[in-house]
Amino acid sequence: MTPELDRRKFLKLAGATAVIAACGGAPAAAPSGSVTASTAPKATGRISIYSALNESTNNQLFAAFTKATGVEVAALPLAAAGDLQTKITAEKNNPQADIFVGGSSEFHDPLGKQGLLEAYQSPNAKDVQAQFKEASGLWTGWYTGIFGFISNTSRLNADIGGKKPATWDDLLDPVWKQRLILPDPIKTGGGYIFIATQIFRFGRDETKAMDFMKKLHPNILSYGPTSPGVITSISNGEAAGAPNWSHDILTEKAKDPTRVDLTVPKDTGFEVGAVSIVKGTKNLLGAQAFVDWVLTKDAGDLNTKLSNRGSVRTDVAPAPGAPTLTSVTLVNYDRQWATDNKTRIQKLWQTTVGIQ
Amino acid sequence: MSPETAHVRVSHVTKRFGGVTAVDDVSFEVPKGSFATLLGPSGCGKTTTLRMIAGFYDPDLGDIEIGGRRVNNLPVHRRGTAMVFQDYALFPHMTVRDNVAYGLRVAHVSGPDRTRRVDETLAFVGLGGLGDRWPNQLSGGQQQRVAVARALVIQPQVLLLDEPLSNLDAKLREQLRVEMRILQRRLGMTFVYVTHDQEEALSLSDWIAVMNAGKVEQAGAPWEIYYHPRTAFLADFVGAVNLVPAQVTNLADGTATVSFGRHRAEVRRPEASLRAGQDVRLCVRPESFTIAPEGTVASGISLPGTIVRRAFLGDTMRYWVKVDDREWIVDQPDPGGSATLDGPVSLSLRPDRVHVIAE
Amino acid sequence: MRSLRREPALLLALLAVTALVLLFVVYPQLQVVLTPGPGGYVQYLQDGTWVGPLRNSIQLTLLSTTTAVVLGFIYAYAMVYSNMRWKPFFRLVGILPLLSPPFVVAAAYTLLFGARGVISYGVFGQSPNIYGLNGVWGVQTIAFFPFAYQLIADALSRSDPRMEQAARNLGAGSWRVFRTVTLPLSRPGLGAAILTTAIYILEDFGNPQLIGGSFYVLPTEAYSLISSFGEFTSAAAVSTILLLLALGLYLAKVRLDGGRSFVTISGRASSMPRPPVSAAVSRACFVACFALAGIILLVYGSLVVSALTLRFPNNLQFTTEHFQYVLSGTNGDALRNTLVFSGVAAAISAVFALFAGWLVQRGTWPGRRVLDLLLILPAAIPGIFFGLGYLLAFNQRWLDFVDRGWLIIIAFVFWNIPVGYQAAVAGLRQIDRSIDEAATSLGASSIRGFRDVVLPMLGGSLRVGFVTTFVRAVTTLSLVIFLFTPPTTTATIRIYQLVGDLNWGAATAYTVADIGMAIIALLVFAVLARGRIALGAARA
Repeated sequence: MTPELDRRKFLKLAGATAVIAACGGAPAAAPSGSVTASTAPKATGRISIYSALNESTNNQLFAAFTKATGVEVAALPLAAAGDLQTKITAEKNNPQADIFVGGSSEFHDPLGKQGLLEAYQSPNAKDVQAQFKEASGLWTGWYTGIFGFISNTSRLNADIGGKKPATWDDLLDPVWKQRLILPDPIKTGGGYIFIATQIFRFGRDETKAMDFMKKLHPNILSYGPTSPGVITSISNGEAAGAPNWSHDILTEKAKDPTRVDLTVPKDTGFEVGAVSIVKGTKNLLGAQAFVDWVLTKDAGDLNTKLSNRGSVRTDVAPAPGAPTLTSVTLVNYDRQWATDNKTRIQKLWQTTVGIQ
Repeated sequence: MSPETAHVRVSHVTKRFGGVTAVDDVSFEVPKGSFATLLGPSGCGKTTTLRMIAGFYDPDLGDIEIGGRRVNNLPVHRRGTAMVFQDYALFPHMTVRDNVAYGLRVAHVSGPDRTRRVDETLAFVGLGGLGDRWPNQLSGGQQQRVAVARALVIQPQVLLLDEPLSNLDAKLREQLRVEMRILQRRLGMTFVYVTHDQEEALSLSDWIAVMNAGKVEQAGAPWEIYYHPRTAFLADFVGAVNLVPAQVTNLADGTATVSFGRHRAEVRRPEASLRAGQDVRLCVRPESFTIAPEGTVASGISLPGTIVRRAFLGDTMRYWVKVDDREWIVDQPDPGGSATLDGPVSLSLRPDRVHVIAE
Repeated sequence: MRSLRREPALLLALLAVTALVLLFVVYPQLQVVLTPGPGGYVQYLQDGTWVGPLRNSIQLTLLSTTTAVVLGFIYAYAMVYSNMRWKPFFRLVGILPLLSPPFVVAAAYTLLFGARGVISYGVFGQSPNIYGLNGVWGVQTIAFFPFAYQLIADALSRSDPRMEQAARNLGAGSWRVFRTVTLPLSRPGLGAAILTTAIYILEDFGNPQLIGGSFYVLPTEAYSLISSFGEFTSAAAVSTILLLLALGLYLAKVRLDGGRSFVTISGRASSMPRPPVSAAVSRACFVACFALAGIILLVYGSLVVSALTLRFPNNLQFTTEHFQYVLSGTNGDALRNTLVFSGVAAAISAVFALFAGWLVQRGTWPGRRVLDLLLILPAAIPGIFFGLGYLLAFNQRWLDFVDRGWLIIIAFVFWNIPVGYQAAVAGLRQIDRSIDEAATSLGASSIRGFRDVVLPMLGGSLRVGFVTTFVRAVTTLSLVIFLFTPPTTTATIRIYQLVGDLNWGAATAYTVADIGMAIIALLVFAVLARGRIALGAARA
């Protein structure tokens, strides 16, 4: 249906470009993938986006994109980035997505290694720091999220004595016994980033980090299956507090400021939310237009407003009350190492705390 | 019979189920327009044979021909046969009319023509006016007539009937038996009928094949089967019988002299080969005797004896009469007309009613 | 039917059915099973990480099945034997859990019975830790006892009241009759009911995922291998272990009940009354059913309350904004998709299953045992792997011209074949062969005879196949999660997205709308079919 149409349109456009190039009327044809936005034909049609962003963010963000570029969006939202990663892997014979957006880069990177992503150096990524993007352009980071701590105000006052954790080590205090929920390090990206953060905090001493996780274990009431679900649990007072994403905590706090609160303990970790183009896309121009667009200031401002996340652009102001990468103390988070060792660390943690 | 008149021909047909041979090298021919019956105890292979003619089973060996055409490779619905099932197999979700019309509908017979033929056939089997009933609103006998009507209406070359009367009570059975015979005569259609009831077979058929253990034991006209059974099994299966051990003492042209106990009789010589001194069995039907009080002079073979028991069967009085060391079954017809006998009696028997079975 | 050689059309039909089953059941599943390769299996099995989840799965299945069956038995006994009041009400409440996506209900349980649950904390002041084995055990017990009830009630109601009358007549008391006559007579049916419940519990994904915490069972282990480790290979190996377990239970069950795996919920009373039980027993039954129905109503009531309030359970101000959201813009499309996909799939699946059942049950051709096995195989395949297999097998460029909705419909059709198929086989056993033979002997081909005679007579089996497929299609998430595309999003996917987005109000409004739609669709179907609603107790 539409994808077929799109492809035909694209081929026509590509053909036209080639004719123009052959006539010498245009600058010398550049190798594919590095066509710059100014010389490329205008993106049209529709793109299919697999999105791990929040539903409310999706709707407004994509509407703004369509308004700005004229490219229509068919969105497939699933809050679980791992599901989308698996879906893209399983669809490799006939990719259904043009864009994979949202979710930390850990979910994009393996796809790139398997050759399932299309490298693209967006002109707008020029100023993005190297640590926020994959060198060859397989994925590009466009927002950041900082790991913080959500507390249920009434339970914090009643059970813990009102004291929020200033460091992660504070959570080892027996006063927290059975009063914490941790996003499951196996099932959620957040849970894994929490463990990786501990490893970097101890200077990559895995033994010390695992010792910390082992001591933390008795204080944990449960390991939550999704990060947002944990926030709901805390909001409902099932436990006193939980490590979680600052931006999601702020969103919850906005609903009822007296119920929950956010702190960011010292030496925390962060995620880089990525966008990537799926190899085999039927609308490469549209996909590139999307990557270009999410890296603009307008998109950054909108996303910050909608989701309380930070932007990789320095000219985008943070959401009110939101921590920034410079306002908190970060561990030296080696994203590549964390990604490469993910499976091993997860299994190590499972054996350490004796969960099977 | 000549091949031209054989309507259904079964030649050397064998059918096995697993390790059991249900039908073992069976051959017979049914003339066009005749009422042929396969008779036998349950498990003898008669239904299997019928179902092979219909096409529900494939013979392992042998051929089946209908109207001179080999039908082994034809599916059921192309054989020009129709079957009446033991339990009628009426379609419960169709009215009587729709049941009867089904075969015509399948054959694309046009609406008005179909209605006419259905009505005619229903009237023919005495069900005019019941067309709009559902099968479960009919009595057993009515259901049976619908089943027959449903099969007849498509004017099959051969009508196959699998114990169609066995689910009915005795009186109705007898009535329908008569109707069935009249119907077949009137239509001149070839019927192949399966039953385990010898009375039914004898009263209906032009021709009977008695089957046992997958084989045809004997085939022929009903009287031949009844009075001249070739084996003791047949004699016993086809009605009550006295089977008496005897010995051939002399053979002549057309007659044989046999001795049994103290008695000696000259009887009709059977087709089977006999030699002097051979042990045989005498087959005598109970109604072949005349029974009279002791001392009555009788013609034919005369046997003096004593009544041991008796049973009143309605139309006959059955006696068990001790002659020497043996008990004989003797039927006296129309017992109401004569006084009940008791004690010593005299039996007499016409020699042509004694049948010799060589075994 | 006897000889395929003589009827080419029949041979073609058989080949077509076989080809479809191979194409849409075996081929996609092989894609999953063969993914790890021999080396992958050896490595994963040696790795040993499957031992824990396997042990947990077996432990949980044993515990939950036991309690669910005990409660289901009490409910069933009360429904079939006692003279208690409110039976139609209890019957209706017993159907509700079959119509709802399980993961929403699991979430509702935490809100009601969790550490700060409305009931556990709000009413009783307790803060139970429901995460882990005990929590899943409790939730599964409540979630699955209605299934056990449906199956057991079916088995009990098949026992012949005349035998019980006779036993009572001989001087036995009602309990003694039940113990010495009814139970032994319905033992095969009860055994099958227990095994079927065990399969549902073994394959349950939603409850352990949401409440299990770090208590991993095989389905959640497989899912987390996929969604977090990206270890598709190991996940496929786990799936194969699960498939073998479920298949074992399923074959044992088929052997026990001779192919009866469906339940008929009858609106009509049995024609022959059962001997009465004492008033005291009836009262006890009423109390027990009232308590159990109360728990179910509490859960579904909380969904309705949550759909109509601003932020359940913290802000109970009335609002219609959640329902407005469901009906606004394109949000309702997923409901329409669900209705269309499920309806079309149910119709196709019911007829196809019936035809396949007829071919196998009436046939004498070699290899029918194999086709029989293949037709019940999907019952043992977890939905998530059924869907994944379809994606691997049929997401091909040259198939792009086919609307993706059809792939989902076909997946629904073949995933749900077993119930309709077994209902067909059971139905055919009750129809004498001579009925179809009569049709062929009157000049109809075998296939024509099937159409004219067998099909109309198997209305009951057809209804079972239709309703079960419909209900399972409406409630499944796992099957579609890897198959849907934006235009083919289904209601369960939307609910899952809304739950993931913490939009609990809209999620529950969507769930209420989904269940309501399913109930209305079933009622319409019941009116059209002019018959009882037969509901197969089966779900993803």
